[in-house]
Amino acid sequence: MDPAGIFATSFARDAALIRTRPQQIALILFLLFLMAIPVLFGPRLLAISTLILISSVIVLGLQITTGYAGQINLGQAAFMGVGAYTSGFLATKLGLPFWATIPLGGCSAAVFGFIFGLSAVRIKGFYLALTTIAAQSLFHFFVLNLPWFGGSNGLTLDPASLFDFTFSSDISLYYLCLAVAAIMTYGAYGIVRGRHGRAFVAVRDDDVAAGIMGIDVVATKATAFLVGAFYAGVGGGLWAYFVRFVAVDQFTLFNSIWFIAMVIVGGMGSITGALVGVVVIKCIQEGFVSLGPSVVAQFPSIGGDVVFALMNVFLGTVIAAFLIFEPRGLMHRWNILKVSYRMWPFPY
Amino acid sequence: MKKLMSKWIAGAAAIVAVSALAPAASAETTYNIASIADFTGPYADIMKDLVGARHAAVDWWNDEVGKKMGIKIAIKDYDARYDAAQTASLWPGIKAELNPVAVLGVGGPDVAALQGRLPTDKVPMFMSTAAYGFAWKPDPWIFNPRPTYGHEAAAFFEWFRSSRGIKAPLKIAIISSEASPAYVDIAKGAQQYAKENPDKVELVETVFTEVQPTDLTTQVGRLIRKGAQVIDIQTNTAAVVATKRALQALGNTDVAIMMSSHNGLLASGKAIGGIKDLEGDYEVYGMAVPTEQKTNSHDFWELVVRKYKAPIGWSVASVMGFNQSLVALRAIEAAARKVGADKVDGDAVRTALMATPLASDQTFGFLPNLSYTNEAPFPVSGLTVNIATIKDGKYVIAAENAPVPVITKW
Repeated sequence: MDPAGIFATSFARDAALIRTRPQQIALILFLLFLMAIPVLFGPRLLAISTLILISSVIVLGLQITTGYAGQINLGQAAFMGVGAYTSGFLATKLGLPFWATIPLGGCSAAVFGFIFGLSAVRIKGFYLALTTIAAQSLFHFFVLNLPWFGGSNGLTLDPASLFDFTFSSDISLYYLCLAVAAIMTYGAYGIVRGRHGRAFVAVRDDDVAAGIMGIDVVATKATAFLVGAFYAGVGGGLWAYFVRFVAVDQFTLFNSIWFIAMVIVGGMGSITGALVGVVVIKCIQEGFVSLGPSVVAQFPSIGGDVVFALMNVFLGTVIAAFLIFEPRGLMHRWNILKVSYRMWPFPY
Repeated sequence: MKKLMSKWIAGAAAIVAVSALAPAASAETTYNIASIADFTGPYADIMKDLVGARHAAVDWWNDEVGKKMGIKIAIKDYDARYDAAQTASLWPGIKAELNPVAVLGVGGPDVAALQGRLPTDKVPMFMSTAAYGFAWKPDPWIFNPRPTYGHEAAAFFEWFRSSRGIKAPLKIAIISSEASPAYVDIAKGAQQYAKENPDKVELVETVFTEVQPTDLTTQVGRLIRKGAQVIDIQTNTAAVVATKRALQALGNTDVAIMMSSHNGLLASGKAIGGIKDLEGDYEVYGMAVPTEQKTNSHDFWELVVRKYKAPIGWSVASVMGFNQSLVALRAIEAAARKVGADKVDGDAVRTALMATPLASDQTFGFLPNLSYTNEAPFPVSGLTVNIATIKDGKYVIAAENAPVPVITKW
């Protein structure tokens, strides 16, 4: 809900993403902060930020497929892998530049995702989850056995370049990922607020009712997978240029489960929630990894094996606690706070 | 009195001079080594020995070598969870924080994540495992002290054939899995050797099965019917257990299983319920075998446990930790001798490693003689392997320094 006194007096204003002056200021400050990260923080935090941006693009896609359209997807890492391999193949074998390979990687992942989206027409829930797990296995099998992707040797990429500039430094890679993530986030907001987004939500809430209302349920479900996989593919392309080596074991079911965890922690059905989920989970993970060596150095008698293992247990507990106490994610909690603040002193 | 005063003054001056010089003589340059570990991933259970061995080797080197050279090595552990993404995100921070002259890696994900970065950052990485086909490229910055798993298997085939006096080609089978590209690569190496040496080896079949097989009776029965004499399993202990159970169920005790370091006789024996079940089977790798027999490497382990209170067992994992650390430390030592104790950097370490052959004695027999070239991340010639077996219920060395044959890159 909007704050008191804010009225949409025109369609353009009603459709606007940024509705108030404080929102505008907050967004500008946030973008400035993102731009300043390479200056404000050291290389470790910069690398983490780059990975957060890449993960954000992938999790945004999952949010659209699962959070908005309600289609369970445990194959997002495979879709990411398809994008990474396509980008790698096009860059190494055909010599295409990154601005072509990354979108084409997204497109190939979208096609792969669309095929699995078609299966969502007939099945749902647990059975759909199993089908998307099959995407992981098929991806693995194809990559290892098709002749173009390097098989067990993987693909090695040169850094992305634009004219004479090479994105080989951590800072340049960060800005590349930031630009792509910003475009994809803007696109995600547009999709979910448009006709397709409303169709996704209608199908998620009740696909029978949605069909009766005239929504093409088959096309909507398939489109949700197509869009979600496109995002994963673009994220995969960024990943390929970040690591500069693509191998099939970088895109596992375990990664897909982490992506789902990010959506759950952030909040299902919220673009901002997807971004928040990525930041929270990644920060906890990386915080523990960074803290571990210091703890071991301070208390060497405990041993690294115990310290790091305990931290992983703690991370798992945090996620489990979220599922038990706030299954609708952090964004739900934030929305409650925001509404309470705006309604104050009235209770509702 | 005046004479006494001047003596006192001269003495005091001498003491001041010596005091002033003393810090300069004992000044140490500290260099950092980054120790990438897997405390929370699939190999967490062996990290205590592997990382403990790294620290023990550094302690020993600082005490026995570094002190004389005016160098101190500091080592810091990082948990990369055997995950390429984690290694990739950790590395820029490690580089900025430590500015390491060398990195110690765990496995394939570290290689995958850093092989593109290290040449630019000019920091060499030292591995403890056999080499990977995907990383077999010229101008390496990542170094393996062992050849590929395919090379190690090939060395075993040649030794087995000659020790048994087999004149015809040795009939081998491979059991692997497509679950991991590393496993596929391992199988490809042995296949390549078989293809290039039809007079020595006949590959009857490569069985690709699930990653953790529980029953391989059908597949193993087929291999027996095809006359397999050796089954090559360099994947994991589950595959060894399933194969052994199948051989036992089929009443066959003639077919030998060949394993590697990470799924060796002790680990697989533990999984199957006792090493006696693996009587007559083998493990092969290009580093010391951790049997209780008296060897230089065993003596070294005893020394560091006693002197530095290192809490590590005598195991394959500790041998791996020792081997990579000793290669890195000897390379730093060679670099310091070449460029000066205060001018060592990653580039100098890599150059010294390439230029200085490493004798087996320098690694206390943990490794054979090593001579790195620009051709590959592992020494392409002169390597040997050690072979262990279970004999009369005991874990013993079957052969030492069996030569590694040449295999062209697949």
